[in-house]
Amino acid sequence: AFVKAQKTKAYFKRFQVPFKRRREGKTDYRARIRLTNQDKNKYNTPKYRFVVRFSNKDITAQIISANITGDMVLATAYSHELPRYGLDVGLTNYAAAYCTGLLLGRRVLKLLEMDDEYQGNVEATGEDFSVEPTDTRRPFRALLDVGLIRTTTGNNVFGALKGALDAGLDIPHSDKRFAGFSKDSKQLDAEVHRNYIYGGHVAAYMRILMEDEPEKYQSHFSEYIKRGIEADNIESLYKKVHAAIRADPSAKKSEKAPPKQHKRFNLKKLTYEERKAKLIDRLHTLNAAAGVDSEDED
Amino acid sequence: MPAGHGLRSRTRDLFARPFRKKGYIPLSTYLRTYKIGDYVDVKVNGAVHKGMPHKFYHGRTGRVWNVTKRAIGVEVNKQVGNRIIRKRIHVRVEHVKPSRCAEEFKLRKVKNDQLKAEAKAKGEVISTKRQPEGPRPGFMVDGATLETVTPIPYDVVNDLKGGY
Repeated sequence: AFVKAQKTKAYFKRFQVPFKRRREGKTDYRARIRLTNQDKNKYNTPKYRFVVRFSNKDITAQIISANITGDMVLATAYSHELPRYGLDVGLTNYAAAYCTGLLLGRRVLKLLEMDDEYQGNVEATGEDFSVEPTDTRRPFRALLDVGLIRTTTGNNVFGALKGALDAGLDIPHSDKRFAGFSKDSKQLDAEVHRNYIYGGHVAAYMRILMEDEPEKYQSHFSEYIKRGIEADNIESLYKKVHAAIRADPSAKKSEKAPPKQHKRFNLKKLTYEERKAKLIDRLHTLNAAAGVDSEDED
Repeated sequence: MPAGHGLRSRTRDLFARPFRKKGYIPLSTYLRTYKIGDYVDVKVNGAVHKGMPHKFYHGRTGRVWNVTKRAIGVEVNKQVGNRIIRKRIHVRVEHVKPSRCAEEFKLRKVKNDQLKAEAKAKGEVISTKRQPEGPRPGFMVDGATLETVTPIPYDVVNDLKGGY
């Protein structure tokens, strides 16, 4: 049957290709413009954004400032670093996000030598905590950049935000989206939030499964069971992790062997000089051959 | 109905975005910094409606005299009647580009300073003034053969072949 060509040549001629990162679906430019735009009368003062991104098995928290040549990362913390502080499992939950945010915050403050001045909230209650500026230096200010996630109440991104706030960073926020905020009473229930920070919701699920479906408990929480983590000692585990993070937030360089050279299957692109040189050689050989031929003819 | 001379009259094409360049504008326009005394080109970006200059200033180059939160104050020359007035306008950064008119001068300044420093070290006296291009030097012509051309005598019969 004859099907009319939908995407004609005219369609392609008029098609405007979106920005690369929009094509990849990774950057929201509307938000990015508003986050990175610095007041012109502040000239080159960097405007830092606290970037939190989730992958399926990892959390990335970074402090980034924008630049024409490319954004510069000031400090970064991944949840796959948490095993160093004693947390091996549940690396993408609310509690792990809190730990990652806390790790990043302490790391940045240590980098800028502000970590003694700004201790932040050492004991994690779930209450809304904002840093008080001391007399000597103003606190480190960053703006939360969530990326493309849907900002619903209780999203793990806000767990990371809470971690950074408790670390002592100044991030403008409201408590509306923290876990435990109830829409009806328009208030944050600090107890519930604290429960989430210490993995209480995970512990509750563990208890429910142990009661009702022990086989599912065995399969779902197998890694927890392997490490002897039970519903009752989850909170103390996270307390230890927080303390370890505050004790030594410095980044550790990982020793990796240099990547091995792979065999090249396609031709390497020549530089301009190499191409010109090749052309000159070809002309020389052609002239030499032509010279020989014309001599023979004559 | 008469034509109307509103603020944006006759700017249908002037303020239009170029073909296939509509939508969000690249971030580098927002990330540039401008200092007082820099030269900037005013080029209106039709996608941003705030802080647009009047169409007269589109394509003009001026100096920065003020920097505010989101806009730049630019001093542009405008001919009004028999004189040129220095007009001060405020324009949002989306409608402004850093001008390259002074770029060659800045580079030459740096190079001249370097040349002068080198000459001073060697003890010579050099002039870094630019010279205009002079007349071309003389040259010998190689491989020229002489071909003498003379007129042929007029042949009445043959040349009047067509119309007679």
